[in-house]
Amino acid sequence: MTVQELSGVYEELSLLYRISEIFSTLSIDEICFRIVDEAISTIGVRTAAVLFLDEQAENLYTMAYKGEWDSKRQFARDNGIIWNSIQAKKPSAFCRIKETEYSDYIPGISSLMVCPIWGKKKAVGAIVVADKELNEEFFSNDSKLIMAISTQAGLAIENASLYSELEALLLGSIRCLVKALEATSHWTVGHTERVTEYSLEIGKLMGLETEKLDKLKICSLLHDIGKIATPKEILNKDSNLNESEWLEIDRHPIVGAEILEELKQFKDVILGIKYHHEHWDGHGTFGLMSNEIPLMARILSVADTFDALTSDRPYSLKHSKEDAVKEIVRCSGSQFDPVVVEAFLKWANP
Amino acid sequence: MKKVIVIDDEPFILMMIEDKLKKAKIGVITLRESRNAFQVIKRERPDLVILDWMMPELSGIDLCRMIKGDSELSDIPIFMLTAKGQDSDEQLGLQCGVSRYITKPFSPKSLLEMVQETIGNE
Repeated sequence: MTVQELSGVYEELSLLYRISEIFSTLSIDEICFRIVDEAISTIGVRTAAVLFLDEQAENLYTMAYKGEWDSKRQFARDNGIIWNSIQAKKPSAFCRIKETEYSDYIPGISSLMVCPIWGKKKAVGAIVVADKELNEEFFSNDSKLIMAISTQAGLAIENASLYSELEALLLGSIRCLVKALEATSHWTVGHTERVTEYSLEIGKLMGLETEKLDKLKICSLLHDIGKIATPKEILNKDSNLNESEWLEIDRHPIVGAEILEELKQFKDVILGIKYHHEHWDGHGTFGLMSNEIPLMARILSVADTFDALTSDRPYSLKHSKEDAVKEIVRCSGSQFDPVVVEAFLKWANP
Repeated sequence: MKKVIVIDDEPFILMMIEDKLKKAKIGVITLRESRNAFQVIKRERPDLVILDWMMPELSGIDLCRMIKGDSELSDIPIFMLTAKGQDSDEQLGLQCGVSRYITKPFSPKSLLEMVQETIGNE
């Protein structure tokens, strides 16, 4: 083995060591940017781009790039080098592309290497690198290195898209439940989406991390799901409710928690729902006080009340935004957590 | 011509670094043992020393302390090579005046870039 070969093997080894960390994210955009950076620094090229196949596998479009590249660049199916490389499942290099039939293939580029990105079963797209820094030709070691990147990238992209499909499926199912709920009562149409919006704004202003905000979103979307068990006549009554009807309505947080009990991963979401009508001073249904009440429930409580005050309800008149804000402030420290109210005010009076 | 001394008990690491630096027109002296390295450094006054952490007899960190403790040599920058995943060692290395801490396996190409960044490109 020559020193140069040795050096190449060692370069590849170090790349493989780095790569597991590089692609440990679940964001597809982020993975694509990292592929570009890694390709540029490892192969030593001036230009790199990641292309994805569209859903019909008819077009390759640009996902990320650096260097001499047009962000809107697309390649239709059966168009030369890149598609051939995907079909062949291996990299191909063109050192003097100007002297070949592909001279106009990508304007402004004189040498080019393409490497397909494959998932477990289907093609994802391709990595294109062009023009080495020292104007060298592409070596066989370069194709090995780019293969190492694309193999790992393919798996990482596949994982990330499975994850986002699952996430979409989850949110989709939750929205179906919400629709089922809202179909039972004309008073509450749109309430869930608005409460979700307000909760998330408050949560963001309180500096919650993404993971907590995701849970708060689910919690807000499902907070009234227990009303699915409340008799329709009560939900749709156009006049004031009597005491037994109120008792029936008051059961919805606990019923909601019971309905969702099977979702073991949602323990804190369920607690948020169960306690969203608790009062900061301990005068709610379960008598929990201050920090005993889960944070999600405390946020939800403010968002829920604000929307109830500013919407038409059979049992109360609609308030103006200003009056509703005043009412929330009045109940800060008794019904509501003052810290949540503070964040709410930042949102309501920016 | 700039001059770098590389000390590592693994011969292929020495070959590889030597090849990479020489191609970039940087002078290289390689040593497989740390025992006499201090004398060589004192005699040659290199622009940079690249040291392996784990070497028999005299470890890279001890050699680093000797260089940094010598008033004539203490300005010479030192790169420390070591096996991956010894986080606590990195702190120690940096405390001892190591300017770059590089985990093996490293990319020979980025090592060259770091060398050029540190000693310049004459």
